[in-house]
Amino acid sequence: MSRPTQTQQPPPPDDDPLNPKAAASALDFLLMELVPLAQRLTEQLLAREQALLEEYRRSRGFDWRAAKTVGVGYQKEQQGVRDGSGDGNGEQGVVVSADGSAAVVATGGRGGGGGGGGGGDVGAVVEGSGITSLGFPVMSEQTRESVFWRLDGMGYRVGQGLVERFSVNKPRPTTPLDAIKFVCKHLWILVFRKQIDNLKTNHRGVFVLTDNRFQPLSRMSVDRRTGIKGAEEALARAQTFLYFPGGVIRGALAGLGVEVTVEASSTEIPTATFQIKTKGAKP
Amino acid sequence: MGSRSPSIAAIGVIGRHNNPLHIALFPATGEGHEQQRDKLEYSFMLNSSLDIFEARMPSKTVGHDFGLLHALDERLALYGWLTNSGVKLVIAVDMEGRTAPTPEAGKTAILGLRNSDLAPAFQALQTAYIRLLRNPFYIPDEHNPQATKGSGLLAITSTRFLNEVDRIGKAWHPGVTVI
Repeated sequence: MSRPTQTQQPPPPDDDPLNPKAAASALDFLLMELVPLAQRLTEQLLAREQALLEEYRRSRGFDWRAAKTVGVGYQKEQQGVRDGSGDGNGEQGVVVSADGSAAVVATGGRGGGGGGGGGGDVGAVVEGSGITSLGFPVMSEQTRESVFWRLDGMGYRVGQGLVERFSVNKPRPTTPLDAIKFVCKHLWILVFRKQIDNLKTNHRGVFVLTDNRFQPLSRMSVDRRTGIKGAEEALARAQTFLYFPGGVIRGALAGLGVEVTVEASSTEIPTATFQIKTKGAKP
Repeated sequence: MGSRSPSIAAIGVIGRHNNPLHIALFPATGEGHEQQRDKLEYSFMLNSSLDIFEARMPSKTVGHDFGLLHALDERLALYGWLTNSGVKLVIAVDMEGRTAPTPEAGKTAILGLRNSDLAPAFQALQTAYIRLLRNPFYIPDEHNPQATKGSGLLAITSTRFLNEVDRIGKAWHPGVTVI
């Protein structure tokens, strides 16, 4: 007449640090915060750069020609960032591409130098954020590209570390397809607590990963009262949250030895699609 | 004048692009047998082991343990391990590296090592490397010769990792199950 033994322990209380919900929630909130953080960083750096340039233009006894070249060089960089193309000025990184170069480090260096001098006057033309018709703040084109690039860089390092740690006892992936399968199955579960729903490939180096309920997008609200416009706007704002996971994929694959470019997009919340192209792939 | 037993002579950590990340040398110990290891000689040895990795890579699709790569002479042997991210761990074992603690251990020098004898050492090394990656001050791309275009030092400088490698090298002996 013995009681059946309890096979399940009672769930740990909510404020127990060992409760997996705590870690999962913390990760979710951190990922959410990354985007505004990248935005703030980029805007501050750009503001400093503008201030420095203003200071330079206004200082006495400086060479007009030098100013012109600096101005032109600056314009070229902005152009490069806006187009997202790595032009002759080789230091600008492409928005989401395999070679994450040190462009932002260069910008940061200049910004840091001018911080002391140009702190007072930021009257320069900072293409700051505007407001959309529905009342949500939106970033300027220039800020957007830099923010995407920065988020992707962050994700890259995270991906490298993650894949090293969690591929320890798994069989070694020999082909790019194996590596992507590893990402779909194991990495996605670890970071987003679910598997990828669909993997398509054209067997020539292009892979498309579809997640029907992508975790960062799953809790976003869309104002349906405003109709199509609201949905589009939500999509545009959701786009920013796709770059960090894109970077994680890129870093993870780089850790396994596969050089790729990743394009993240979403046509409908909460579905997300990641297009992965290996180097030399034919579309 | 006791019998001798195997000890680790050198540990090499080589990155994915065949760039050396760290080489640690362990001198032979024991009365009258003390001997410093020549860095250049061991660099050459580790270099030559890379060829063996490449040669065996296509046929070895399962598993990380490459086992005995090459037995150089009666004293030295090279064992290898490949991680998923392409980092290669090479251990050079000196069959007469230390005085035998027990008579049975002394016989190992004659009988030889099994591959599984070195697995704990490789596991410990891999754990140490993963811990290094969790250090925010270590950026893998900085130690990648293709990414940095050859500027600056490419070897690992983290003291914790270096000390851990040292500890593993000194603590290993045949038959140890966890280091």
